[in-house]
Amino acid sequence: MINNRIEKLLSNVQKPGRYVGGEINSIIKQKDEVDVRFAFCFPDIYEVGMSHLGMKILYSQLNQVPFIWCERVFAPWVDMEEQMRQNDVPLYALESGDSIADFDIIGFTLQYELSFTNILNMLDLAGIPLKSKDRHSLSQLVVAGGPCTCNSEPLADFIDLFFIGEGEEVDLEVIDLYRKYKKENRSKQEFLIEVSKIQGVYVPSLYDVTYNEDNTIKSVTPKCGAPATVKKRIMTNIDNSYYPEKFVVPLIEIVHDRAVAEVLRGCIRGCRFCQAGFIYRPFREKSVDVIDRQCHALCDNTGYDEISLSSLSTNDYSKIDELLDKLLLWTNKEKTGISLPSLRVDSFSTELMNKIKSVRRSGLTFAPEAGTQRLRDVINKNVSEDDLLKTVTTAFKGGWTTIKLYFMIGLPTETLEDIAGIAELGQKVVDTFYNNPDKPRGKSVKVTVSASSFVPKPFTPFQWEPQDTIEMLQKKQRHLVSSVKTRKIQANWHDADTSFLEAVFARGDRRLCDVLLEAHKSGCKMDGWQAFFSLPKWIEIFKKCNVDPAFYANRRRSFDEILPWDHIDYGIKKSFLINECKKAYENVTTPNCREKCSSCGAACFKGGICSEKR
Amino acid sequence: MVQLVLREEYAVKNVRIWFRKVGLAKYISHLDLNRCMLRAIHKAKISLWYTQGYNPHPFITFALPLSLGICGERESMDLKLEDDDITKEEIIEKLNSALPHDIKVFDVTEPVMKPGKIAYASFIIKINPENKNIDEIVIQIAELFKQDSIIVSKHTKNGYIDMDIKPYLDKTVVTKIKGKIVISTMIPAGSTFNINPNLLCDSINKYLNLNLFTEITRINIYNESLEEFK
Repeated sequence: MINNRIEKLLSNVQKPGRYVGGEINSIIKQKDEVDVRFAFCFPDIYEVGMSHLGMKILYSQLNQVPFIWCERVFAPWVDMEEQMRQNDVPLYALESGDSIADFDIIGFTLQYELSFTNILNMLDLAGIPLKSKDRHSLSQLVVAGGPCTCNSEPLADFIDLFFIGEGEEVDLEVIDLYRKYKKENRSKQEFLIEVSKIQGVYVPSLYDVTYNEDNTIKSVTPKCGAPATVKKRIMTNIDNSYYPEKFVVPLIEIVHDRAVAEVLRGCIRGCRFCQAGFIYRPFREKSVDVIDRQCHALCDNTGYDEISLSSLSTNDYSKIDELLDKLLLWTNKEKTGISLPSLRVDSFSTELMNKIKSVRRSGLTFAPEAGTQRLRDVINKNVSEDDLLKTVTTAFKGGWTTIKLYFMIGLPTETLEDIAGIAELGQKVVDTFYNNPDKPRGKSVKVTVSASSFVPKPFTPFQWEPQDTIEMLQKKQRHLVSSVKTRKIQANWHDADTSFLEAVFARGDRRLCDVLLEAHKSGCKMDGWQAFFSLPKWIEIFKKCNVDPAFYANRRRSFDEILPWDHIDYGIKKSFLINECKKAYENVTTPNCREKCSSCGAACFKGGICSEKR
Repeated sequence: MVQLVLREEYAVKNVRIWFRKVGLAKYISHLDLNRCMLRAIHKAKISLWYTQGYNPHPFITFALPLSLGICGERESMDLKLEDDDITKEEIIEKLNSALPHDIKVFDVTEPVMKPGKIAYASFIIKINPENKNIDEIVIQIAELFKQDSIIVSKHTKNGYIDMDIKPYLDKTVVTKIKGKIVISTMIPAGSTFNINPNLLCDSINKYLNLNLFTEITRINIYNESLEEFK
């Protein structure tokens, strides 16, 4: 419960509902009856963080354990932060209203590189020392998990330990150990040395990093018995994996305000730009009955009238029709809608669309990612122009007139021809509309082509690639606009500045810790929000720290360079990624996991699609 | 009469749900309250009547939405339900088990007056004097409310305008209860003319040069003849 001091601030801020807690299904415990207090921090505002499925799973799971009380913490919006700083109100957790400085463990989820400054800002707002070495006691242990921990080096000075991979088991093992060491009054250092022996735990302070004169890494040396490589954790059987029956139902509208079913983990596709496609391997499906039961429980306990079937690629769920039929048995009666968040170009059918709600008449979105077949082969996006045109024909017949197409620019080997190809593909979609005898009468077609800038990420075949310079990306954006010849096509693009900073931190090393600290001191925060992001400010900070951002973003690495994340092991073999990179240059595609195993290495986890085949 | 025919044709039941919206629930905005209520009804498995058009949607309307940050002791929401045999007691019990802690349904009636008839609302404003002398402030507020005009800045669609709230303070009393300044007032409310009670607090803060924490609760709503809204 929030106290009067906090409440007094709320009359001066926008959307006070973000800061009060008290939602249905939020969990209140007595603090003197628990052994471990865990502050689950999301480094963005309430509406964004509350939409995150991972937080919902771990919040419920941790609170199932009687001796743990897990509470939620979000970054306050700037107006609230100003009020808090002016009135000396520390960052607090929503359930108890207590400062997170009073907590045993402060856990952050790393979803996006541009949220890193918010982590420092949140610690600072709670009065917690930012650097790991300045926090001496076992309490206020700062931990982090989530996809960005696959290269957590830019945060190595600040976070005591990282979770690598899926958290359901390893979180509990770490908290158990923490509880034991707390009872025994052991030191933080003793704890860190012991915890580093748990698979999936990376303690950055137990690794010494040295550099060559050219600033590349010379060596990474573990000490105090820490493992040479940290292997990720996964849930091999996701049917048995914990899934909440209740979500905290927010009082205010959030970004994804609905029940979410997780139908599968991993992805069979292996698109070469996509980090998620590699770090979540192997592909594992939940069974129809389990999903159905979990959906029904969630709707009963929350009152949501919409279910989203979530995953990296829900169309790849092998029993999608069976699942929808089973859900429709009760969802129709209970006036509950079903939505699919992502659609693949090659698996669209009107039967499928008629069963789901979200696409009623609002428009359809597909992601061909690249404008020409050659470039789609380079990135291993196994979608052909025919597939796309067939799909939009079906959509036009079904009455849709608005199509959105997502692309990336700045992909490896890309030329201006490939950029023009984006506009040409858009034109072909427009032509398909007018050549279609069944097109909706009296309506015009609208095609939006949206281009984001490619950011090379660790654990992908493109992890050695340079990112295009901002100037080149902007040139390509202009070329895209000038290639569009009709007003039926609208071209959008994402700001190249933010993609540049994202590229720096995605493949950064520990020398960026000082940059982050300096950025925090200069007031950088909410960098993911256009209104707050300023590249000139960041460039100044890099200069001040004597760090060249282009070294991280725009440099081609050689295959034999030691990469900052080489001591983290996602099961994917480096030799496989090198081979995929070489195949990309030759425009050669790789079959998906269902067609043929390409021996990426994920079979070492002995689960999912890898073991189905053997 | 028209309504009667409609009811037979579609088997619709019009109900007015009465509830308290207090504590943290005062931070739920009108739009969010709408969503929150629909979710609670869905969770409670109460059969809402849906419009029969191309895009069916439920019918839900609030007689006089509260401003963000103000509590309400007697709020109402009109719903159209499918006319099954659900009793008033069942609706109250089911909704209360599905709603957030600080929203409590206490009655279900048939609508008598139309929301457009609302003309006045009564409020209790509690002010925490913090470290200030409470008796002095009570006297100062009473003096303020006796002035010939009390000008406050009011936010409108076209920016801020100056407004005199003095003409609407004839049913306003300032007292001291349990260490808090308590203002009881009845001011114009409704869709045609509305005085936001926050303007009273603004006037106090402005004329007395204070920045005190206020808690505002709407106690009841009335029609032109000062009859309780039913």
